[in-house]
Amino acid sequence: MEESPLHPFELHNFVPINIGGLDISINKAVLTMWVVVALVAALMVMAGSARRLVPGKLQSLAEMLVDFIRGIILDTMGEGGMKFFPLVATLFLFILFCNLVGLIPGSYTVTSQIIVTAVFAFSVYGLSLVMGFALHGAKFLGILVPPGTPAWLLPLMIPIELISQLARPISLAVRLFANMTAGHVILGVLFGLTVSGGLLIGWLPFVFTIAMNGLELGIAFIQAYIFTVLTCVYLGDAFHLHGHDEHAH
Amino acid sequence: MPPPGDPLYAGLGQAVRIGTELLAALIVGGGLGWAVDGYILDSGPWGLVVGLILGAVAGIRNAYRTAQQWQKSSDTPGKDQRR
Repeated sequence: MEESPLHPFELHNFVPINIGGLDISINKAVLTMWVVVALVAALMVMAGSARRLVPGKLQSLAEMLVDFIRGIILDTMGEGGMKFFPLVATLFLFILFCNLVGLIPGSYTVTSQIIVTAVFAFSVYGLSLVMGFALHGAKFLGILVPPGTPAWLLPLMIPIELISQLARPISLAVRLFANMTAGHVILGVLFGLTVSGGLLIGWLPFVFTIAMNGLELGIAFIQAYIFTVLTCVYLGDAFHLHGHDEHAH
Repeated sequence: MPPPGDPLYAGLGQAVRIGTELLAALIVGGGLGWAVDGYILDSGPWGLVVGLILGAVAGIRNAYRTAQQWQKSSDTPGKDQRR
């Protein structure tokens, strides 16, 4: 039987809940997110409970992850950024595990829904705006004017900078969503070929399916990593306004 | 788990970033122009035209800026500032 490669992205309601026209049914995505949250929590709690000086397997995995996230923050925001560690670590681990859980055949990839990635991206960007205005007041609007801009260029530069600021959350959301969706569509198409090809030729796309799954494993890490790095960069931009080399030419 | 410092993964990460950077600015520019046309000024296609051009400029500027930072961080080893 032929199956659409987009079939895995359909949401099926398990427990339909409808309150005043607001659809908050428990569907595949919600269930997967709960599983991911449980997995991350279980990993971190179990890894953290031993607290041995010479770490066991689980503890060294957790230490590696924490050290990795710490490295990202120190690289992009410096020492002062460590107060965002809980936020950044939560985002990184949640996105990473969403991507990884989605690679298990038959499961669901939450990050292939643009609404999920958009919520992450816009809340991060919203936080950076709130923090920027709280720290710098009206001076934060200076982020729209790169230093060293001649006055006659201002009417042109301000709209351009405004657009590039507004593009930040959108590129953040679209990047994660598009990469995860595209990867899983390719996997779906290849596996569809395997099923319809039969034994004689079907092994060929099956080999490619396995190879693509390996590549997707790398993409899962890279996308989680990029999302985290850009989160740090945007928060850092609000943190020290023009205090870094971003606008230097 | 791939090692975080692996140059292959760092390179792949950079490659993936640039493309969406261009696209997102175009979407925002075009969208703003279209919204100005439709809801605020009723100015025919001109808002969309100007918005798309500004979006393209902003996108290229973003991509250029990002690439420039990588250039800078690869020139000064030890001071790793991937953005």
